Amino acid sequence: MKSIVFKSISKLYAGKPAVLEFSLEIPRGQRLVILGPSGCGKTTVLRLLAGFITPDKGSIEIGGQVVVKDGKNLKEPEERQLGMVFQDLALWPHLTAKGNLEFGLKAQGVPASKRKQEIADVLRLMHIEKYANAKPSQLSGGQQQRVALARALILKPKALLMDEPLSSLDLELSLKLRKEILRLQKEIGFTLLYVTHNREEAFEIGSRVVVMSHGKIERIGPVDHIRQYFKQPPQF
Amino acid sequence: MAKKPVLISIVVVLAVIGLLPLLVMFLRSVTVEGHFSFAAYEGLLASKNKWILLKHSLTLSFLTTLFCAIIGVPLGILLAKTDMPFRGIFVVIFTIPLLIAPYIMAVSWFNLLGREGLLARFWGERTAAVTSEFLFGLPGCVLVLFSTYMPVVMLLTITFLKTINPRLEEAGKIVSGWPGVLKGITIPLIMPGILLSCLLVFLLTLGEFGVPMFLRYNVFPVETFTQFSAFYDFGAATAGAIPLALITALAILFERIFLRKKTYQVKLASEGNRTIVICLGRFRKWFAISVGILCFFMVILPLLLLVLQSMSFNAYARGVDLAGDSLIRSLSYAAIGASMLIAIGFFCGYLIHNRSLFLWRSMDSLTVFLFALPGTLIGIGLVLLWNRPATNFVYATPIIIIFGYIAQYTALTSRVTVSMLTQIPASMEEAAQIVGAGWLRRIGSIVCPLAKRGLVAGWLIAYIFCLRDMGISMLVYPPGHDTLPVRTFTLMANGPADLIAALCVIMVLATLLPLGILTVVFRSRGLTE
Repeated sequence: MKSIVFKSISKLYAGKPAVLEFSLEIPRGQRLVILGPSGCGKTTVLRLLAGFITPDKGSIEIGGQVVVKDGKNLKEPEERQLGMVFQDLALWPHLTAKGNLEFGLKAQGVPASKRKQEIADVLRLMHIEKYANAKPSQLSGGQQQRVALARALILKPKALLMDEPLSSLDLELSLKLRKEILRLQKEIGFTLLYVTHNREEAFEIGSRVVVMSHGKIERIGPVDHIRQYFKQPPQF
Repeated sequence: MAKKPVLISIVVVLAVIGLLPLLVMFLRSVTVEGHFSFAAYEGLLASKNKWILLKHSLTLSFLTTLFCAIIGVPLGILLAKTDMPFRGIFVVIFTIPLLIAPYIMAVSWFNLLGREGLLARFWGERTAAVTSEFLFGLPGCVLVLFSTYMPVVMLLTITFLKTINPRLEEAGKIVSGWPGVLKGITIPLIMPGILLSCLLVFLLTLGEFGVPMFLRYNVFPVETFTQFSAFYDFGAATAGAIPLALITALAILFERIFLRKKTYQVKLASEGNRTIVICLGRFRKWFAISVGILCFFMVILPLLLLVLQSMSFNAYARGVDLAGDSLIRSLSYAAIGASMLIAIGFFCGYLIHNRSLFLWRSMDSLTVFLFALPGTLIGIGLVLLWNRPATNFVYATPIIIIFGYIAQYTALTSRVTVSMLTQIPASMEEAAQIVGAGWLRRIGSIVCPLAKRGLVAGWLIAYIFCLRDMGISMLVYPPGHDTLPVRTFTLMANGPADLIAALCVIMVLATLLPLGILTVVFRSRGLTE
């Protein structure tokens, strides 16, 4: 069962291709990592899937539903049932951790009693129960990451998108959170689309890795295959 | 999807309230008795008097801008970058004239330099004749408008200095002293900002009619106002207004082409709020004394004389009796106008910042153009558009004054919104969008709370501009709905000096007191910095 399908997606900025003829199928429950240097188009792919930008060409399906067709957005981001952890986390500073989680539930019209229960469950799952009433500025980097993850997961999204979420953390915390993400994915079984420029991170998080360069897929395969690909000496 | 309908409604509102009156005015200037004709323009071009007026307007604007730049830029540097004492107090005092209607400064200077002014009491009638001759005419207008608009240059210089990346100056300091760094690095970096402030002063002076009218220096806005309100010569008034609109359009074009990108480059180079301070050493107190003297003569003395002139219970009693209702109207209209402006300006700023509609650039240009236009022009346009039996519900009610405020001052609130939104990462709204929140919910629950400081500041700025407005109110106020600036200005023609001074003091207090109270309240709630 395919969770996400990209078909010949292209996106140009000022005439220059950011993503070119990008086609990819992601099965449900897979952990797919897009790996590549800055400016290769990996974040653009994520933003196209989320619906923040519209492609010039191509189509996208999420859970069997066409959300982009012939370069036109058929569904707004709020209608795509995706979860996302942003590079800067984008935690709303004026709301508490609980408020950050509750916002999406309210927007979806979840009744108050159910909201309370779901928030409690997610806080427990992420081990951040005692920070429920703290504002983002009162939390450490790691705690903020957990709140951002909890916010993305609380609505049980069709897929979780993560845009270099660990790039600003020190190595120790980054390693700890990689394990946490894997634990959560194993427990819940969500489809994960993870963007990074860090090879080690990509190999640890992903079950399949896409290497991107100049807006195109350069290589795609299981982790071992890609690891091997990087070990090969460059061909002249 | 509420986003598009709401933003399109805002575009329509601004087009009807701001653009349509100008189009009607232009059409009126090219028609005579229902037929297309350039007669009004031919008359305008052939009239020697009109060319003299244009020369007067441009000379006044140029000289005012020149003096504002000569004093405002160094003052801004001293107040923003040095360790001179009392900098904060000086900034507040120098800014006061900008917050009040310009003609109040004219009355204040009149109390100092006029035939019965303070100087006359000390040095006799012969001196007074000389100073009075100086005041009534070009030099007096330049002096008054310089003291009113100098804070624009000073404040923008301070603002732009804060956007400079301190590392650029540190790199200069390695190889040069402060004079060299200021001359070679700091000032060139903020030059687009300085030019922008000069352009703003030039346009504000060009559109000013209260001060030249009071000091009897005939300029284009005065002539336009006179033709329109005294002679009811709509054709001459509208044709006379077009050159001012053209000059304004050229100035906006200049800003768009030469300044906008450069000012953004300076902003992009910023690094937090860190500013490198220049230590003045032993000159510290001498600079403070010099700035203090300037502050005393430019602001404190004229305003003090205004207060002294008004010092009689009778004057205030008569003032309240004659203009109490106007004061209440002014405060209410300003509060309503500011609230409308912040609502419209917010959505307009959102549209411009997010480029939500294809005509975002046109909206930006339109609001800035309307802000730069003389208020009298907008007033004439509004009268021409709404003065019909079917639209009497607008023309004959205070709605037309509020329309005038919206037409002229939306740029203020939309610009404040844009600068506030620039500081909010796009991911904040995107994060709300991805969890399923619709546009209005995102605006209400995420964007507005994050932008509340800007919204409060925008409301206060709009309130001040509405309260001090005279150009529009003077032309459009319906009978029985005059505002305090209008009532005071009309009484100035033959009212006793103490009464006029008392009304001016009431006007100053009406501006500064609510501003002070609101600032204290908002600060206590942590809403403003």
